[in-house]
Amino acid sequence: MLLSPDEWQIVGLSLKVSGVAVALTLPVAFGLAYLLARGKFPGKILLDALVYLPLVLPPVVTGWLLLIGFGLRGPIGSRVHDWFGLTLIFRWTGAALAAGIMALPLMVRAMRLSIEAVDRRIEGAARTLGASDWRVFWTITVPLALPGILAGIVLGFARSIGEFGATITFVSNIPGETQTLPIAIYAALQVPGSDAIVTRLALISVVLSLGALIVSELLARRAGVGRGGHVL
Amino acid sequence: MRLTSRCLSLLLSLCAAVSLSAAASAKPPLVLAAASLQESLNAAADAWAAKHHERPVLSFAASSALAKQIDAGAPADLFISADEPWMDDIQKNGFVAPGTRVSFLGNTLVLAAPAASKGDIAIRPGFPLAKVLGDGKLAMADPDSVPAGKYGKAALTALGVWPSVQARVVRGDSVRAALAFVERGEAPYGIVYGTDALSSKAVRIAGVFPSSSHVPITYPIARLAGSTNRDAEAFRLFLISAQGRAIFRHYGFLPHTPQAL
Repeated sequence: MLLSPDEWQIVGLSLKVSGVAVALTLPVAFGLAYLLARGKFPGKILLDALVYLPLVLPPVVTGWLLLIGFGLRGPIGSRVHDWFGLTLIFRWTGAALAAGIMALPLMVRAMRLSIEAVDRRIEGAARTLGASDWRVFWTITVPLALPGILAGIVLGFARSIGEFGATITFVSNIPGETQTLPIAIYAALQVPGSDAIVTRLALISVVLSLGALIVSELLARRAGVGRGGHVL
Repeated sequence: MRLTSRCLSLLLSLCAAVSLSAAASAKPPLVLAAASLQESLNAAADAWAAKHHERPVLSFAASSALAKQIDAGAPADLFISADEPWMDDIQKNGFVAPGTRVSFLGNTLVLAAPAASKGDIAIRPGFPLAKVLGDGKLAMADPDSVPAGKYGKAALTALGVWPSVQARVVRGDSVRAALAFVERGEAPYGIVYGTDALSSKAVRIAGVFPSSSHVPITYPIARLAGSTNRDAEAFRLFLISAQGRAIFRHYGFLPHTPQAL
């Protein structure tokens, strides 16, 4: 497909924001998934609900919370800026933060299901053969849960590519910095005679999203998570 | 299963009740209006309702977004745009009821800063906007489509400073989105209408753009061709009447003697 340099920049920025968002969210999501799948502790229901909150909370609320918390005047944003010299608001880093938070529930869900599906008797057998907990984790649990982990990564990536509400509320619309695919489409929609650009960008979105869903579904089937392997 | 079907029937009867009550009373007119009119048009609608009329339903967004919705067939009654080109756009597409388009308000363009900040800025050709921004951003409405952004870009271009700040612009989806970033202190400066700056206690006017730096800011109103609402035309006439214009003047607008186009 032929895109203008501006359009390539939009696609490239979207891929960068989503890639960084998923990479940084991955360890957090896996830790939470493991905790929710295996852990028994007071407050588990609350943690469960908090993890899934971004999935059901209006994205504009998430964006507003980010704005008041992580803005230059916010209690977290001001310290991050002073201590690490890292600015989040109006920057692509903030877009990645918003995308990562929105992707977290989907990633945790896919990973949690696959961790729950791991046959614990196999882990037990490995232990009776003398394997340490650490070794059991890396040689049994992670490989068996791998399709779910990959599905979570792909789903989280797709969700990040599509993130709009929290992003525009928190980091606004700056071409080349925070103008990701959905925000570029939204802005272009208001410009007269932009139908061709909107169509091209929308097509890219459909292809990326469809591809991600198909890949995650194939991975989930291999994992045999649930009946039919649905992770959604 | 039984619970589900019970919920469903409850939902259906609720829907029926809602649609019945909607049919029983005449619908109030729906007014699509530029975001900058938020407080003033609400006050005007209150004044209209106080005269024992049904209070119109007001929907605020960037004029560009509203014009696109009208072009897509939004069933509204009145449209108030913050610039002439967007009204031209819907008129060209046949959505304006003939003889109802009138430009009745004017506005100013200002550089707004957080209320806690200090220092006025003389806005003149080549003024050092990039320098006063420091490492901060300039908040404005989208300069490609939203009227306040288009006026702002035109003014900065005429003053010769647009190239130096272009890359620092945070594009709000309406002028109010830009205002909000200045209110929170996340952007040190923003380009908004004079009335927007007056509407917020959290910002102050650091400088006023010379009116020669941009085309005159005018607000055209029109009834939409598809409108069948009986109250819509009466409300339009009220808004452009001396009494209606006085309300807008109270909020800092510069009312014109209406000139039909």
